[in-house]
Order: sequence, then structure tokens, then C-alpha cells
Amino acid sequence: MQFLTAWLEKYFLPIASKLGGQKHLVALRDAFIGTLPATMAGSVAVMINALIRDLPPQFIDGYDGNTIPVIKEIITVNGYVWNGTLAIAGLIFVFSWGYNIARAYGVNELSGGIVSTAATIAGITFSFTGGITGLNLDQATVDAINEAGWSATATDITAAGYGWLPLSNLDANLFFTAMIIGFVATMIFVKLMLKDLTIKLPESVPPAVSKAFASIIPATVALYVIAIFYFVFSKIVPDMTFLDWLQKTIALPLLGLSQGFGAVILVALFVQLFWFFGIHGPNVLAPILEGVFGVAQLENVRLFHQGGAELVIAEGYHWVRGSFDAYAWYGGSGGTIVLIIALLIFSRRKDYRTVANLSVGPGVFNINEPIMFGLPIVLNPIMFIPFLLAPVVSVSIGYFATILGLVAPVSVAVAWVTPPFLLSFLATGADWRAPIVTLVAMLVSFAIWIPFVIAANKMDPALGEETEHDDQKYAN
Amino acid sequence: MIEISSAVQQDKIIELLNNYSEEGTQFSFKDKKGINLYFETNANDLEKAAKLAKSAIKNQPWGSVLYFRSSPAK
Repeated sequence: MQFLTAWLEKYFLPIASKLGGQKHLVALRDAFIGTLPATMAGSVAVMINALIRDLPPQFIDGYDGNTIPVIKEIITVNGYVWNGTLAIAGLIFVFSWGYNIARAYGVNELSGGIVSTAATIAGITFSFTGGITGLNLDQATVDAINEAGWSATATDITAAGYGWLPLSNLDANLFFTAMIIGFVATMIFVKLMLKDLTIKLPESVPPAVSKAFASIIPATVALYVIAIFYFVFSKIVPDMTFLDWLQKTIALPLLGLSQGFGAVILVALFVQLFWFFGIHGPNVLAPILEGVFGVAQLENVRLFHQGGAELVIAEGYHWVRGSFDAYAWYGGSGGTIVLIIALLIFSRRKDYRTVANLSVGPGVFNINEPIMFGLPIVLNPIMFIPFLLAPVVSVSIGYFATILGLVAPVSVAVAWVTPPFLLSFLATGADWRAPIVTLVAMLVSFAIWIPFVIAANKMDPALGEETEHDDQKYAN
Repeated sequence: MIEISSAVQQDKIIELLNNYSEEGTQFSFKDKKGINLYFETNANDLEKAAKLAKSAIKNQPWGSVLYFRSSPAK
């Protein structure tokens, strides 16, 4: 084990450190994390509506929350919260993205956020057109429609308008465009700021004013570069905005790839491997976990808000960021709450039982540092196989249960500290079958852990007495 | 005494904390047991000292990806 650790430190950790410390990837991770206040507030609204509007009809015939006093008002209030949060999640992200890139380079963060937002929104169409054909309208109706500003004939109506930002361009659909356009625009801004291509005002001018003025030239150049790009793009691809094109050619295929069983298992396996060797897996893999599975989750949340679990099942993604938490990471990464239970039942080692007792409380809220380092699991050879295998099997159970339609896909973001069964119940929009799937995954994990816990009993005849041998065994 | 539990980069953690002297807090490496490193500190508030140590490690280019624990030694 010592050789492996030394090898990791020499060859792997420098790469992981570079990846984990790469300022753009850190900024991307922080940009996603930065949107949490909004995305969690929006998820709370969706969750409450799921509980008072969507869940009761499954058990009570004729229940309609939208017609019940107080309930319908709460549903309306939740709608407002949704409008300001998840409905515009992409817009919130794009600001956070620019802000964090600028912060990584130590230039005006606020301007960075503004440039990123402005550049990305610049490519969204503000007008709409739509039509109906095959009608049979009388002349008075045709005249009335034409007078209202739309265009009508006896058989067709063509509606057009300007001054609209399509909501479908501001939600999760915006993320990939934001990641590219927001990045390029903010980087142009940052580089020009660092080259000091700025307007300088006398020192007597208040800092807020001089900082804003200093950003004018870099921001203007960045926005013009992006605007010219949009212009050229519109000439090459006249029927699509850049956002629509990117969604169609890159984002949707990439999200589709993430839904394969192999991709899901690979991510689960790597997270476990990283944890085992003392590396923060989700931090290193944040670009995939948040940038791909997180975006898929936001799309599911949108669909759930729009049409409930049925729409998510029909059009949404089966496996998203929260699916890992719901079906594999109960008690923390590795599903360690199951290990704690196994230790309390089967372990005869005093030290293991003491750690397990101390780990129950935090474990209920998915905090597993006490058991990860107390047992320890990290670098403990006997824990290697179950720590990797149990979550992979749990992910498989959750994945196939979802694919086979035995449980609704995860479509609500739930705080990771929510206790296991409640977490999967809420995350699936109050699907009562989700905690059962979690329970099945837990039971299978439990069976995987048991032989290793019993083997650990046999490994130490002193049963937990602190000895020099104990100290050495983890180091070797 | 504070305890740092880290599977990797132990030598760098020891070097970093032995040379640490911010906010009047200093650490001195005392012992190593498996993945646990023990440091004496002149700080009276061990919780705060553990947080300072954690922050110092996290701020290193090699520390941002580490999964480790920093706490008062039991």
C-alpha cells in the first residue's frame, strides 16, 4: 500500500492537482456552486408543489390542489419562486461563470459577470414568429387580426412579435452556450484588463466609478468580438441561433452519452477510487458531475415543473447528478451508512464499534468523514473492494430501476445532507417507490460489506486494543 | 495537539505546517500513526488551529484536491 501511495503521489497526484487546481475548471466548479442559493430555492418550490399538488392525487381520487384555498395560493407563490430561480437557471449561471473567471484572474469580478451575461444573451433571438394554416376565416376576423398587428388571410394567420426572451433559452438549455460564449467573452475581457487597456481616472474619483470605467474598453471589445461572431454565424447558419445549433450538435449528444450505463458506472467507480486514495473525487470530477449530470438534472427539474413526473419520464434524463445521492451515496460517498450498520451488528472490534457509534449521527445526514478517517476506510486494504463495489452495484440498481420505469427519474434538487430515504423520496418528486429502491440498494450493499467486516474481525486478534501493529497496518 | 488525517502528501503537509506562522499560530510535527499526523500547536483554541491548518493545506496547489480531515486530536 505504501508503494501504491508513493506511486500515486509521484505520478497521479500532480495530474489530479493540476486538474483540480486548474483555474478555469475551479471557476467552472465554483460557478455551479455559486448558483446553489437560487437552484435550491427553486427546488424547494418544486418540492413543496410536488407534495401538495402532485403527490395527493396518487392516493386521493378527485384531488386538485389548484382548487383548494390556501393550497392554491401556496402553489402560486411557489410559481413566483420558480420564475426567479430555475426558470432562468442558465441566466444565473452565466453571470456566476463570468464572475468566477474574473475572480480567478484577479480582475473586476462584477464586470466579468456582466460581460459573460451580456455576451451570451446577445445571441438569443428577441423576436418570435408562428403561424396557423388551414383556417376558414371571415373577412371581419381577418381585418381584426391584421389591425392588431399580426398577418392574416382567409386561411392563414402569421403571428410575429419583438421584445421577447424565450424562457427555453434562459434555463438549463443555456448552460453549454454560456460555458463557451461566457468563457470566451470573459477571457477577452480579462486579458485586456491584465494588459491594462483601460480608462484611467484621477484618484479622487470614487473606486466604484473608476473600476467601472476601467472595465469599459475591455468589456466593449469582448462584446464586439462576440457580436461579430454571432453575425458571421448567422450568415453561415441562417436558420438557427448559435444556442440552438450548439444544443443540437454538442449539448444533446453529450448529455445523451452521459446516460449510458457505462458512463454512469465509470463516474461512480472513479469517484470511489479517488475517495479511497484520499483525493476529493467530486472536486476532481466536478466538470462532469456538475457540467453534464448537473445540467441534465436542471432539465429534469424544468420538465417536472412543467408536466410532473410523466413528462420527465417521457422526455427527461434517466440518470442525473442527484441520482448518485439518491441511490448510491447514502450516508456519504460509498454508501457508508450501510457499513456503519454492518459494523454495529457484526464487528467484534472495539475500535471499529467505537468509530461506528460516533459515525451514526453524522452518517444519517450523509457526512462520513468520521468513518472515512476514523476506521479508516481511506487506504485500508480490506475496505478497498466493498468501498468500490457497493456503490457501483447500488448505482446499477438505481439506474436499471429508473430505466425500467420502476421509479421516476430524479427531478428535484435536494440538499445532500437530507437523510437517505427522505432524499430519494423528495428527489424523485415524491415518488414513494424511490425509498424502496434505495432500501434494496442498501440491502445489497449491506450483503457486500458483511464478509469484509467479519474478515476485519479475524485480522486483529486483539479486537481493538491499541497496539504498535495497529498503527503500522494502515501505513504498509 | 491537532490531528491531520490524509492518505497522501503527508511530507508536504508536515513541511507546510512546520513552517506555518500566521495569526500567531504555529505548528510542530510530533507523530505519525498510519494516515494520521499529529502536530503540537501554541494556539489555545484547537478548533480554530485545526481550521487554520485545513485552510493552509487547501490553499496549496497540491492541496485543493486532497480529501483529508483536520481536527483537534482526541
